[in-house]
Amino acid sequence: MIETILQLAANGIMSGAVLAVAAIGFTMMFAVLRFPNFSLAGHMAGGAYAGWIANTMFGLPLPLALLCGFLVAGGIGVASDFIVLRPLRRAAPITLAIASVAISLFIENALRFGFGNDLRSFDLPLARDWVIGWLRLGPQQVQNAGLAIVAMLILFVIFTFTQTGRAMRATADNAGLAAVKGIDTEKITRLVSFLGMGLAGAAGVLLGADTSIEPLLGLKVILSVFAAAVLGGLGSIPGAVLGAFAIGIVEEASQIVVPATYKGAVGFVAILLVLSFRPSGFLGRRQT
Amino acid sequence: MVLIVRDLVAGYGAADEILKGVSLSVGAGEIVSIIGPNGAGKSTCLKVIAGLLAPRRGSVTFKGHEIAGLPARRTAALGLAYVAQENNVFPSLSIQENLAIGGYLNPSTRRRRSDEIMGQFPLLRERRRDAARALSGGQRQTLAVAMALMSEPALLVLDEPSAGLSPVAAETLFETIVAIKAAGVSVLMIEQNALDALAISDRAYILVLGQNRQDGPAADLANDPEIRTIFLGG
Amino acid sequence: MDSYLIAMVTLAAIYAMMAISLNLSWGLAGMVNLGLAGFISIGAYASGLLTTVLGWPVPLAILAAMIIGLVSGVALTYVTLRLRDDYLAIVTLGFAEVIRLAIVNELWLTHGSDGISGIPGIVAREYGYGFELGTLALALAAVALCYWLADRVRTSPYGRNLRAIRDDPEGTAVAGKNVTLIKVKTFGLSTAIAALAGAFYAHYTSFISPEIFQPLLTMYVFLALTMGGTGNNRGAMLGAFLLIFVLEASRFIAPSLPQFSAVQHAAIREMLVAVLFILTLLYRPQGISPETRHR
Ligand SMILES: Nc1ncnc2c1ncn2[C@@H]1O[C@H](COP(=O)(O)OP(=O)(O)OP(=O)(O)O)[C@@H](O)[C@H]1O
Ligand SMILES: [Mg+2]
Repeated sequence: MIETILQLAANGIMSGAVLAVAAIGFTMMFAVLRFPNFSLAGHMAGGAYAGWIANTMFGLPLPLALLCGFLVAGGIGVASDFIVLRPLRRAAPITLAIASVAISLFIENALRFGFGNDLRSFDLPLARDWVIGWLRLGPQQVQNAGLAIVAMLILFVIFTFTQTGRAMRATADNAGLAAVKGIDTEKITRLVSFLGMGLAGAAGVLLGADTSIEPLLGLKVILSVFAAAVLGGLGSIPGAVLGAFAIGIVEEASQIVVPATYKGAVGFVAILLVLSFRPSGFLGRRQT
Repeated sequence: MVLIVRDLVAGYGAADEILKGVSLSVGAGEIVSIIGPNGAGKSTCLKVIAGLLAPRRGSVTFKGHEIAGLPARRTAALGLAYVAQENNVFPSLSIQENLAIGGYLNPSTRRRRSDEIMGQFPLLRERRRDAARALSGGQRQTLAVAMALMSEPALLVLDEPSAGLSPVAAETLFETIVAIKAAGVSVLMIEQNALDALAISDRAYILVLGQNRQDGPAADLANDPEIRTIFLGG
Repeated sequence: MDSYLIAMVTLAAIYAMMAISLNLSWGLAGMVNLGLAGFISIGAYASGLLTTVLGWPVPLAILAAMIIGLVSGVALTYVTLRLRDDYLAIVTLGFAEVIRLAIVNELWLTHGSDGISGIPGIVAREYGYGFELGTLALALAAVALCYWLADRVRTSPYGRNLRAIRDDPEGTAVAGKNVTLIKVKTFGLSTAIAALAGAFYAHYTSFISPEIFQPLLTMYVFLALTMGGTGNNRGAMLGAFLLIFVLEASRFIAPSLPQFSAVQHAAIREMLVAVLFILTLLYRPQGISPETRHR
């Protein structure tokens, strides 16, 4: 029993690390743009396909494929923001949220048009599981988690130690005041869209490297990503990371009691519980 | 004159004539106060000057540039620092980071200014790693003014800086404002605390219902019996 | 009347119920429901299962479906009421996904992705043309009923409170009113109507499967309402007919682009829907028949 629990916890931490990358993207965009951007799902898939092309057609190793996924998804994010969301900046948050669902629908179907519905896999070296005591770890999962953690560290450095990072956090805190201090908030918004959707794309690549990719790859995990962000408090980056690890572990642990097919429901239950008992999340301060 | 405002007409949406032709000016090294009853349009006037609200008519000239309708970050770049009455610091950023954002437009001098300002306000140095949300009202107001000074402005525009402060904290703040003037910065401010404001001001404007009512040297206004009864509480 | 036309109008009537449902919660009360497809599928499966498994008479099954729709709507809003709209968006989206998971996985009850077939018609299918016309008439009557209900809500003092809540989420305008109760009731009515639409769909087409109730369906209804005019029940109905027209017109994509596969045709069609939606939001957000403001 204890072995099973430890094994599930280890798996949960590894999948949580990947979730965290997407959840950071989601929550940082929420902090600045003030609406839940559902097109994260489409951008995750877009990034996953970009990484897949880089890997299978150009033979790039996973870290470089990850970078490609990041850049392409970030680029799509800036484009969709510029074309669709920017003109709606003054609209109600919910209008923006719905527009973002339409963006996702478009991206997913563009991928479907180009690549069909078939599952595709990355071209990665197969390796035997590592066995440490009674713990079995898949080298690929470990590598994915490692890459996710590197991405988060880079982000941490940007946010804490660069003036641009500070400007992003300042804009999230109070965009009007940021403008008074000379910050070009529209430019910051664009940068946040790039980084946020880029992270979504990177998470898409990592998910794809773990299993396989398809146009609805993002949609399948979006609830877990939202749950992580809500759990940590919408808009809080450290909260999203904590929330992602929690959701990753709980999703794995849930398999002890419910069939694995219901993994997707765990996020929903977590959201309901958090909203019922602590609506601001673990680290959220913002009043709901 | 550092700032010249002429015949400003401005408002919000349907209420588009809150200001009905306001004029004022601020000279180099002067402290100028705006006083008037609640709802007179004082804050609205400062928002137009800071670039947060585009006027319907009229002009705002700052150091010879026409700035009416320019976005806030452009007026800031020209050397105009505005401090709103509320929400004037970034609560989740540390004090040090707030100051860094205050100097966003002057990256080359940021470090030096930050050191100077923390020397001037020892409290900010002491608590530089704390998040701004942890500060008391008076400390927060001090931080807001300090952030504005980070940009080495030619004109400091303050909306009711002493609102909500204890008398002691307000006293300290006024001393700070006098020191700012001594360093050669012009100041335009709104104050509820009219007598205290007039005591440190060179000139003042009285605004009523979106229009200029009277103006002149602060000392004269403070001694005008009519004004004393209407605006200064006896 | 031509069978094709009857089928299209019947389908449009079913979409009109969905659009009215969405207009009640989103258009009038400002409560977004991104899980509409979930509530529609609840109605479809409830009515479909009650008739095929337990042999209930169709009208009774439809009524039960509406009650189940109402109860699930009330239960869901109860949790999210005190929260901002964006949370409701996330929660309703998640709700629909969980319902879909349950339908796919509870094979003993729902036959999973195989779906349920042989669902009896509201009018017996044996009547052929009579079934078609009869179902159409009943669907139109149901739309009329929903419209009447929804419009009563809109024009009543109660509706005025709703709009006040929508336009001023801080709640200052309706201080003293029981905002919570008003919101729960409206959302419940709206989900009951969504379930009714689902039940109608099941009895009309005789076959339901989880494929049909994808998030895309919710998107279609949002598109219908936005094109028609959010906040306006008549706009909701107009939008439903427009939607059917658009979806039918998009059938011509396949023959005119024979070089592409069926999957690609479907993808083009959904991209067009997405683009149409975005264009509507950008250039005609108030829809064709905008909401007229009541005092
Ligand atoms: N954002 C806004 N939208 C609409 N009306 C506003 C807005 N801000 C202020 N007003 C209105 O404009 C008028 C002037 O407001 P303003 O804040 O400029 O007055 P003030 O002189 O600063 O008053 P106070 O002493 O209370 O600060 C008031 O009637 C106020 O209700
Ligand atoms: Mg004011």
